[in-house]
Amino acid sequence: MNLSTFGASLRYEFRMQVRKRSVWIVPALSVVLFLLIGGSLLRDLFDPGERSAEARVAVLGLALQIHALLSIGFGCLLADRLVRDDRLRVAPILDATASSPFARLLGKYLGAAAATAVPIVVVYLGFTVAYAIDTGSVAALGWALAACGVVIVPGLLFVAAFALAVPLVMPAPLFRVLFVGYWLWGNLAGPDMMPTLARTLVNPLGGYAFESLLDFHGIDGDQDFAGPVPGAVLNFLRPAPTPATAWLSIAVLLALAAAVLAGGHALRARRTR
Amino acid sequence: MRPLTLWRYEARRAGWAALLGPPIAVALGVAAALANPLPGDRNTARILLGALEMAIPLAAGVACASLVGRDAAVELQLTAPTRYRITLLRRMCVTLAWTAAVAVLMAVVLIATGWWGRWPANHGAFAGQLTWVAPTLGLSGLGFAAAAVFRSPAAAGALVTTLWAIQQFFGDFAQQHRAGRLLYLFATTRGSVPGDWTANRLALLGAGAALTALALVVLGRSERLIGQEDE
Repeated sequence: MNLSTFGASLRYEFRMQVRKRSVWIVPALSVVLFLLIGGSLLRDLFDPGERSAEARVAVLGLALQIHALLSIGFGCLLADRLVRDDRLRVAPILDATASSPFARLLGKYLGAAAATAVPIVVVYLGFTVAYAIDTGSVAALGWALAACGVVIVPGLLFVAAFALAVPLVMPAPLFRVLFVGYWLWGNLAGPDMMPTLARTLVNPLGGYAFESLLDFHGIDGDQDFAGPVPGAVLNFLRPAPTPATAWLSIAVLLALAAAVLAGGHALRARRTR
Repeated sequence: MRPLTLWRYEARRAGWAALLGPPIAVALGVAAALANPLPGDRNTARILLGALEMAIPLAAGVACASLVGRDAAVELQLTAPTRYRITLLRRMCVTLAWTAAVAVLMAVVLIATGWWGRWPANHGAFAGQLTWVAPTLGLSGLGFAAAAVFRSPAAAGALVTTLWAIQQFFGDFAQQHRAGRLLYLFATTRGSVPGDWTANRLALLGAGAALTALALVVLGRSERLIGQEDE
């Protein structure tokens, strides 16, 4: 792999994506909708009567809601990035250069994903900073950074790989429909209701990391997000939550992302041969 | 050009997602109903009606959100005697007609097999069709309007899916106030105040019509369409 190609692709894709209006408009409108609906932590965070007494619980609850909601727009926005090169007919020109296609793909993946994640991280850290100033709790910032590291970043990398590669085999709008359906099914559907990936190691919402690395069990402390459910299908994918299984879950998410990206690369290479 | 040729052309321009989305939505809904281990026909019937009220409108909404910005040489479209916004409206009609055909087929099968009646809040075989008509038109209008304003299928599709997901995740909070209840997409299968159902369906139809009209007004400003695309 050529490092300079990777770096150039990453920089270009990042700058192109971060300047797109829609990358900023979609998260902004999502937050507005979220506030309008009410009952979200975005408002409770600044209400002394409603918010959690513990800064850690408050900012981790916020991370869960922001991640669950803004990741949908994130995946939808990234769905046209790889097929765009074909649509604009620049892919054959890029393929004719001496640059490594895999280095370009990796640069596009990390650059576009990072740029699309910027507004999400800005929203999350922005609310956290405001909360930290409001309550005088500096620890909130540390917990927010930890949540970014072990929950939001692995989850978004997982989503981005699928958003880039899957539209190679189906139209991007269809991917968006199936993706939001998957997001609901694979993260929120109760394992006692139907076979689902919710609460398994393959959970991009970060159930294991929340449980075991951040010791977060919901705003009221009575929820759990990972581990086996009696009688549920796929329980072999739901080991008991421990720090080791939490790191395993993150590794599984990143490995799946790498596999999907490699699959996308192989598919493109086969088509252009 | 013969009308049939024209409509067939518009159907192809509406794209594969518009064609495949509704049948896949139905297939996934039926699969979810079959996989449901909860006892009682009521739960299964709720999931089946849920496919009509949740999955089909989502497929139609995202398909309508992807109509603007697909034509490679939009300048040529703008010189044609038919206004471009009328062309886009035709594609929206084709998308909705196909969605309706799939939804009606599913509804007829549910009514004929008795599953329709097993969900207590089904509102009958005739008025009950608003179960899918109202959210489909509401989300499609939103998708079309967002596509007209942003000229980006990615942004418009993201907004439709996000609104749909917010109402799924926070169904209780979304229905705490009357305004939220009137615009709640899933009032048949997850409605908290059954008495608001008719008003809710009419509000969604009205919102869909208003948003489609807004899209047509925005699309009438052709200089916006040949400006720099939000690639």
